[in-house]
Amino acid sequence: MQTFILALYVLIWPLISLAVLAIIGVATVKDIRVALLEKRELV
Amino acid sequence: MNEESFYQFSTLTVLALLAAFYGGTYLLTLLIKKKKENTDAFMVSNHQIGFGLGAASMTATWIWAASFYGAATSGYTYGISGPLHYGLWGALMILFIYPFGRRFRKLAPNAHTLGELIHARHGSSSQLILASSNILGSIISLMVNFTASGALVSVLSPLSFQAGVVIAGVGVLSYTLWSGFRASVLTDFAQLMAMMAVAILIIPAVMFALGGPQTLSDGMSLLTPEQANLFSMDAILNQGAPFFVAVLAYAIGNQTISQRLFAVREDHIKPTFITATIGYGAIVIGLGMIGLMALMTGMEPIDGDMNNLIPQMVSMYLSPVFIGLFFILVIGSLSSTADSDLSAMSAIVMADVYGKNIAKNNPDPTKMLFIGRLTMIVATLIGVILASFSMDILIMLVFVGALWGAIVFPVIASCFWNRVTNTAFTSAVIAGLLMFCIARFELVPMVGVIAGLFELLAAMGGGVVLGLMAFGFCGRRVGLIVGALSAIGLAFFSVGFLRDYTVLLASLMAYGVSTIVCIGISLLSSSKFDFTQIDQKVINYDPAKPATQA
Repeated sequence: MQTFILALYVLIWPLISLAVLAIIGVATVKDIRVALLEKRELV
Repeated sequence: MNEESFYQFSTLTVLALLAAFYGGTYLLTLLIKKKKENTDAFMVSNHQIGFGLGAASMTATWIWAASFYGAATSGYTYGISGPLHYGLWGALMILFIYPFGRRFRKLAPNAHTLGELIHARHGSSSQLILASSNILGSIISLMVNFTASGALVSVLSPLSFQAGVVIAGVGVLSYTLWSGFRASVLTDFAQLMAMMAVAILIIPAVMFALGGPQTLSDGMSLLTPEQANLFSMDAILNQGAPFFVAVLAYAIGNQTISQRLFAVREDHIKPTFITATIGYGAIVIGLGMIGLMALMTGMEPIDGDMNNLIPQMVSMYLSPVFIGLFFILVIGSLSSTADSDLSAMSAIVMADVYGKNIAKNNPDPTKMLFIGRLTMIVATLIGVILASFSMDILIMLVFVGALWGAIVFPVIASCFWNRVTNTAFTSAVIAGLLMFCIARFELVPMVGVIAGLFELLAAMGGGVVLGLMAFGFCGRRVGLIVGALSAIGLAFFSVGFLRDYTVLLASLMAYGVSTIVCIGISLLSSSKFDFTQIDQKVINYDPAKPATQA
């Protein structure tokens, strides 16, 4: 049990990072689409 | 030492990696480069940054090279809870500015710096206190990041420390100089994607290279009872609490954060800050786990230098490809912070110094842009020189931290309470800084009545921190109750105890003293400020392209 908890404690952070990476990636694609629709620059 | 202890890249490989990173980043900025930039876009991208880019930029800016090394050191020193006590509080710095940030945006939707808002509220002296602390903080940050580049290059290749410093300085300046904040935000996105991808790969790679979860379980026997305890008091008092105290100070005082606050579309502020909080926490705590794993395998840092922990682990257990990825991770983190510091300093000199104090709110946009770019060049030169000669200016960081601690209450109170005056603001900051120095450097003997008095003031500071956090999320009534109860509770525990933790005592005193002085002097005045004046005074500088709010 201790082994599992320790592994989870170490590996949960890259998993959360992966989720945030996906959220930011998808949101940025949306940002690009909105900028194109509104005919303005992305930044 | 290098050849024996760390993997060595050839000169050509390191130069190719650096050229690929900085060359790629520069090419990316060509996508947005315009012949004629405008001042508002140069400073805050016309307040139009979306959620994705905003969150990426906020996260990348807040992660610097020291984040990895600090989190790993914390994991190695304090064990299981160490990475949490570094990364969690660092992440909360981003979250806790969000409720106040919304107020700042409401009061001054066209602002580029927090200093402009304070200038409109109080005048030059308060504004310049904020601006000068920011410039000093950013110079130190630049120096630290360039130093990290020099150290990394000299450890992993035959190139010299100075070569690493100069390459980072020239690389960052080359892609930030023309488009300023716009370039910083766009490249932050690419740099963060790379950093996250590398972190996601490296953390499990190290764990499985060590022998997998079973090795960690076996390594628990090497930990002291304090290190094995998730609620270690040692970790809380020496690592977590000082960081927690700094939460509001760094968030309120740092222009790199407020610049993004003013740049993100107003309706995207909340998701941007929440996502950045989670992203920062996950990456930094995750990389801190490498320090914990080093502890669990009984590894000793080379020369006793904790900064060697991560490079050592990566060199010992991973293949050259991963070492190359780690190299990019560190270069990406330091570059994203350095370009944000350059953008922050240029905005402060453009808006706070030239726009408000020299041109008196009627600047020439062309001259303003020139001043911004010149600031970046000068700041890079200073950063490179300080880093190259390894000048010991980190003591200045103590003062910057204290200054930021002392301005937290006056800044927040100035934006919510109409009775705060310029005299109250300035006196509060000076008094807070003075008392901080007395406590931090033990200029008076920390015994007897004096120590007890200082502990009571620090307890009040603790109440102020917790009260402000509660106020930000739950309103004035809850904030006052939480603040008062916390101060009373902390006073009970602090007297006779806190004097042994000088850093924590001094930091809390900065909050407590500045709050007492600010409230006291404000109550003596009968003047009441009209907050609608701020929006009228804080303007866009480029009339051709006014900012459009969401």
